[in-house]
Amino acid sequence: MGQIEIRNLTFAYKKGADILKDISLSVAPNESVGLVGANGAGKSTLLKVLVGLNMGFSGSVMIDSVPVEKKTLAGIRQKTGYVFQDSDSQLFMTTVGEDVAFGPRNYGLSESEVRARTDAALAETGITHLKDRTIMKLSGGEKKLASIATILSMEPEILLLDEPSITLDPRNRRNIINILNRIQATKIIASHDLDMIMDICSRTILMAGGKIIADGPTDQILRDRELLEGNSLELPLRLQSGSR
Amino acid sequence: MRGTMKNKSPMSKISSAITEIQRIEDLQKRDQWLNRIHPLVKLACTCFYIVCLVSFHPYDIQGVLSMGLYPLILFMAGDLSITDCLRRVRIVLPLVCLIGLFNPIFDRTPMLLFGFVVRAGFVSMLTLILKGVFAVLSSYILIASTSIENLCYAMSLLHLPGILITEILLIYRYVGLLLSETERITQAYSLRAPGQKGVHFKVWGSLAGQLLLRSMDRANDVFDSMSLRGYSSDFRYIKQYVRWRPSDIIYLALWCAVFLFLRNFPLLLLVGSLFI
Repeated sequence: MGQIEIRNLTFAYKKGADILKDISLSVAPNESVGLVGANGAGKSTLLKVLVGLNMGFSGSVMIDSVPVEKKTLAGIRQKTGYVFQDSDSQLFMTTVGEDVAFGPRNYGLSESEVRARTDAALAETGITHLKDRTIMKLSGGEKKLASIATILSMEPEILLLDEPSITLDPRNRRNIINILNRIQATKIIASHDLDMIMDICSRTILMAGGKIIADGPTDQILRDRELLEGNSLELPLRLQSGSR
Repeated sequence: MRGTMKNKSPMSKISSAITEIQRIEDLQKRDQWLNRIHPLVKLACTCFYIVCLVSFHPYDIQGVLSMGLYPLILFMAGDLSITDCLRRVRIVLPLVCLIGLFNPIFDRTPMLLFGFVVRAGFVSMLTLILKGVFAVLSSYILIASTSIENLCYAMSLLHLPGILITEILLIYRYVGLLLSETERITQAYSLRAPGQKGVHFKVWGSLAGQLLLRSMDRANDVFDSMSLRGYSSDFRYIKQYVRWRPSDIIYLALWCAVFLFLRNFPLLLLVGSLFI
């Protein structure tokens, strides 16, 4: 599974200042969706609502037909992995291996299963050699890969990624694109990296001012110069150079 | 005027602090008999030891000395390095030794110690120092053989308030954050204050405030990250790894009996009387 259904979602951190305004959308299992928009459009806020980090919203948010509520959060979080924008916020154990094992261990898996999942997640992200490395001694790219591994070890059905390519060099960025393309799960990727969105997502949602402005095939949305520039974005770099 | 907050090679200091935490965690992960004992038993044993230790009369140095048996045996049997321990607790030990420093000045009553006439204040000072050192050593043994999660689980079994347990666990997790935020702030300061050997006292307040706010912000994110990966304060995941065994009960009963014996009978005098 891995289906997301949002109906008339409105959310505000402070009363009277809505960050998300009447959002409705549905995401099918294994669909890859890009969430684009200028700073403050509400992308990260929307992702946090999906995993119950932002509660107190109006409307309905359902993950596999289960409403996101306080009492259902444990189950929803078990199947929904959220990769933070800042890897330093994601990683808190001493070593990479311990951090990757944290999730499976918390969900009561046997130690052999925890080890198997940890090794598989590290292998998937290509950082097996960093298993015993102290988190503090990782580079930015390694931290991002470790962050993704901490989520993959939980074998989530839904993967939510907040700016996964930020601060990465081209090689690490390409590496993450390849990893995300390999993963079989529902993916929602919030990013300003429109080229990456084109490489991974078949569908793109454009947000501005807490509302959905456009929702459709990536090729269609990200080629619409007028739409993008009208919402403080630009065409993806590959299309800009092609148009010269 | 310059403050004492030196920013000399902050990275190396922070790295070594992190490495030190990692080494302690490596000790906790060893497959030793001491590590396998139920955390509640080790916690109860340590607490009971400290209670017995501090209950000795200030002049009963022989009784306090006999309590050294517990750390001595566990350091040997648990394959722990006393040198590493003393290196790690080197910051605490001088503080412990400061306790009772003025006793010899104020308490000049003569008394006999191991055949020598000394001031009673000197004896009470030594007793206090020994009590402090033994308490630190026993706590080190507990920490070196029990992970923070297991310790917190043991506390939850004692029905300590959940918020207190979560606080202890999170403080441990946030040490790294605090260190890295300190590093960032001091680096940012030194880059804009070239030639300064320390942080000027006038900016201590704003720097400390920034450190607090940033750490709180990141601490909140870390807690979210932990919650998203199944963390809950009920430690349900530990329950399947940590199980009661008969040897745990025997360990606890044995040590409690030893502590009570040492508390009530002068072991050193009894041993000494065998040779005289």
